[in-house]
Amino acid sequence: MQLNINGEIFAVADGDGLRPLLWVLRDELGLTGTKYGCGAGICGSCTVHLDGVAARSCLTPLAQAAKAAIRTIEGLAQMQPDGSVRLHAVQQAFTEEQVPQCSWCMSGQMMTCAAFLEQNPAASEAQLLDAMQNNYCRCGCYARIRKGVLRAAQLAAQPAGTT
Amino acid sequence: MSATPPRKWKFSRRKLLIGLGVTGGALAVGLPLSLPFARLKIAGMLDSASAPAGTMPKDPFVWFEVTPQNRVRLYLPKAEMGQGVHTALAQIAAEELRPAWEQLEVLNASTARGFDMGTMSVGGSVVVSSLYNPLRAAGAALRLMLQEEGARQLGVAPEKLTVAGGVVAATADPSQALTFGQIVSAKQGAWVASKQEPQLREPAQFEFIGKPMPRVDFAAKITGAAQYGFDMRLPNMAYGAVARAPRMGAKLLSAAPGTARSQPGVVAVVATTEFAGVAAETRAQAIAALDALQLEWSEGDVVEQADMEALVTVQPGAGTVLQSAGSVAAPLAAANALRAEYRTPFAAHAQLEPQAALAHVLPDKVLVWCSTQSPGSLRADVAKAVGRKAAEVEVTATYLGGSFGRKLNVDVALDAARLSAAALRPVAVSYTRAEEFQHGFFRPPTQHVLQGALDGAGRIVAMSHAQASGNVFPALVGRLLGADFGAYRGGLLRYNIPNRQVTSQPVALPVPTGFWRGLGLLANVFAVESFMDELALSAGVDALQFRLQHLPQDKLGERFKAVLLAAAERAGWGTALPAGRARGLACSWDAGTVVAQVAEVSVQGARVQVQRFTSAVDCGVLVNPDIAAAQTEGAIMMGLSSTLLEEITFSGGQAQATNFDRYPLLRLADAPLVETVFLQGDDVPHGMGEPPLGPVAAAVANAVFALTGQRLRRLPLKLA
Ligand code: FES
Ligand code: FES
Repeated sequence: MQLNINGEIFAVADGDGLRPLLWVLRDELGLTGTKYGCGAGICGSCTVHLDGVAARSCLTPLAQAAKAAIRTIEGLAQMQPDGSVRLHAVQQAFTEEQVPQCSWCMSGQMMTCAAFLEQNPAASEAQLLDAMQNNYCRCGCYARIRKGVLRAAQLAAQPAGTT
Repeated sequence: MSATPPRKWKFSRRKLLIGLGVTGGALAVGLPLSLPFARLKIAGMLDSASAPAGTMPKDPFVWFEVTPQNRVRLYLPKAEMGQGVHTALAQIAAEELRPAWEQLEVLNASTARGFDMGTMSVGGSVVVSSLYNPLRAAGAALRLMLQEEGARQLGVAPEKLTVAGGVVAATADPSQALTFGQIVSAKQGAWVASKQEPQLREPAQFEFIGKPMPRVDFAAKITGAAQYGFDMRLPNMAYGAVARAPRMGAKLLSAAPGTARSQPGVVAVVATTEFAGVAAETRAQAIAALDALQLEWSEGDVVEQADMEALVTVQPGAGTVLQSAGSVAAPLAAANALRAEYRTPFAAHAQLEPQAALAHVLPDKVLVWCSTQSPGSLRADVAKAVGRKAAEVEVTATYLGGSFGRKLNVDVALDAARLSAAALRPVAVSYTRAEEFQHGFFRPPTQHVLQGALDGAGRIVAMSHAQASGNVFPALVGRLLGADFGAYRGGLLRYNIPNRQVTSQPVALPVPTGFWRGLGLLANVFAVESFMDELALSAGVDALQFRLQHLPQDKLGERFKAVLLAAAERAGWGTALPAGRARGLACSWDAGTVVAQVAEVSVQGARVQVQRFTSAVDCGVLVNPDIAAAQTEGAIMMGLSSTLLEEITFSGGQAQATNFDRYPLLRLADAPLVETVFLQGDDVPHGMGEPPLGPVAAAVANAVFALTGQRLRRLPLKLA
């Protein structure tokens, strides 16, 4: 079976098409940036994008994921032609606001925010915060997550190259 | 898996006494005057937050490595769990070594680096305070060595050189300069320590300490590259799964491989009465093969919630006296004396990264990577589990995806090592969320009896706090001390009250309990500071004024006064609020840090919503104000989660929660606006990771009372 992840094609064993994408990414492909927190769709740590939409990879069967373009935290920053890395607006905002603590939840937080902003560039503050409702952060970074996602919206709204 | 039917865990008077720890001679009721000297001394150390923290290596090359490529590597014996300690310690080290900030790289020291076991552990909010001086000394010692070697290479006298930004340069002619990397490259022979006594910078000269330096671990964390215990991978690695007891206290009576060896993907099976587990090519195969093991478990304990609460109940006259002044008996017997009981539940750590480790047992050595707070003690435990010498075992702490005390005990590394020894391959073991909830340990439940009496002028003449708590400190230490110094954190009465008494009853429970962020801090302060409000109400005095009136006339009293006034001012204490809102106030001391907090709450139906949360924190020297603010915010959110939501309950010998559906955590929508003011009432750094958790529950409960008239004396707070 072939998977399109972050614009690259990866081959994985056919086997059980119901096996969760999360463990295929982490254990079979070594993409460990996507995290496990509950395996039950509650915490949001495992959030990835499927065709640009935020999805919980712990509940996504491989066979379904194979039909979509998958994006993980490893593919959020863009490699520039000169070899440098350009952080996504969300990553830049979370760095500026020094949002994370342990950061185990942060791949999921950033992927959730990035998908929402890309789909809803004109979202209101309330809509944006609402989109972040179902991502746990046990370290309690909520005050900064709020600042981080609002700053990310600002950065994303600026035309490329002005940041 | 087979299991014999469980034996009912009977609630008996005898068990109650054992549970209370009052049957054995060593745990007998004590009085302060009869406390052995050693016990008082240890109590005093814990109380002043100056518990010994291991012996620090004098050799700066244990801490530092300077590469010819001009990188400065700092090896730290303290794990980064999210608390920002790698950044704060890098600031302290850089202050005296004086590299350029950009050339610093911070790494976890493995147990082979040369730090001792006591140093290689994190806990009790003492990391920064315990390393503040040793790390500055190590940085200064290396700076002098580089300066003297640079002097030799440049042909300039050492005292005519200046060190700054990772460059040693002639003070009179900065073009005569060498980078640290150049000096190291050209160095011949072994380094010797300087004979000079290094000069440490004065606070006014600080370049890094006190500055909001950005976190050194974020570049890796933001891109998903950071490696945690759960992420460690080696070629040819297998995954392990471990058979778990069907209920608390159940032990393996017999264990045989059954058909596990022939299950798909299985590479090794271990089936002994000590440990039964499987290693397989994939995680799912390992878990599936557990069912094929032939296991017989003992009955274990049918732990029921009501029994736990009965056990954790203050028994009059029992327990160890931890604080005593004057005599409380007569004034507390007065007709108008107040009495109230408070209770807090079991709680889980619920750190988002479950326990995880990777072990590789080789013929001549054992390598372990683990999300652990204490690689030092883990090394000895791994050695024992696989029958090797501790010297053959090398443990490296990875980044931790949260811990809060949970990763002080990391049996998962022993599981991985046992399976790797059998599989002759590297084996990774990580807990599922259900294993975390069912097979970890818990913050112990507590019960508190508070009594107080006022004189005619509304001053407290007598107050007592009798506390019962499940054990926190390891059993042996608890037995030596006669009281549980983890469980009583935050429980002493620091107000100026002529007659006071605090007693602590450690209770052994048939449920594993242990370290949790702040240990007894949240629970004790919830009880004591809620009761202070009850007394203030009875005296008819404003809660802030009442506290100020009872502060001791000493430095601690001054520090308390400063944080109380600062928090009150920032929160607008005493000013009008919109309808449907009210404020509550509380304060505490822990690990040398004093904190005052004001919660502003509203109520929607039966739900308490905390709208705004203001803190004033005096933790002495602030090494990094932004990290201190982040720790305060995090402690508040964790405290609020405990205050409003969290409770582990038991039924039939198991925790009822297996995932977050039964144990929800605070979410973004529940998070208040937070504001924090920092004060510096001391010239050394004090604890930061836990102290701001102290007053959270009390501040909220006091605000809920102010708003609704309901005095809620049980966590989580539930409106009637
Ligand atoms: S791991 Fe997928 S939602 Fe928690
Ligand atoms: S940063 Fe630790 S769980 Fe969110």
